Amino acid sequence: MPEISRYCIPYTPFTGKLESSRVGIVSTAGVHLRSQPPFVLEGDTTFRLIPADATTDLTTVTHDHYDHTDARRDVNCVFPVETLRELVAAGKLGSTTPEHLCMGYSQAMREIKEKVACEIALITRKWKSDAILLTAG
Amino acid sequence: MEGIPTVLITVDPEQSWQARPSRAFYPRGFKLGHSLGQPGARDLHQRLVIDALDLLIHPEEPGTIAEQEYPEYSPLDKSS
Repeated sequence: MPEISRYCIPYTPFTGKLESSRVGIVSTAGVHLRSQPPFVLEGDTTFRLIPADATTDLTTVTHDHYDHTDARRDVNCVFPVETLRELVAAGKLGSTTPEHLCMGYSQAMREIKEKVACEIALITRKWKSDAILLTAG
Repeated sequence: MEGIPTVLITVDPEQSWQARPSRAFYPRGFKLGHSLGQPGARDLHQRLVIDALDLLIHPEEPGTIAEQEYPEYSPLDKSS
């Protein structure tokens, strides 16, 4: 893959309508299922796949760089997995991706750029998503 | 090269700007841990997601961080 200038803003145009679009979430908020291994608080470049039918009760947050008290009470504060389903039910979005993706805290930017981002791109492409919503904490 | 359109919701626009997101949305005054608002604010969460995704339909100049006020945001709301 050719090197992109650090001054470049990668931009993919959107065509279509939200009402017929499939939308997924990619986040660094540290959200994962309670049944999944927690993130390493000091730094972690792994990610967790969150099923699209996940609920607050099934999720938790492992992240030491923001106050996630409220996100543990309502995951949608930082990771709108239930919100997307509500918007689909209301006819405002077409569908959600079958799963979403979340990372925890990391400062390993080179590893993320050269390895993890490529892995995430492959996964999001399999989702056949029309758009991805990015959130942090 | 083929990509996927993205929209970032950020509560730290200064830091996010350095990452040069293609589309970014800042709900003004929202605190860390409340990217979409306080817990239980279902209508606010929905509205904010749609407002952010609207940048796909009505894009600003790449690199711009769109801002919007939400008077219904209540950072200290601890109701469930």
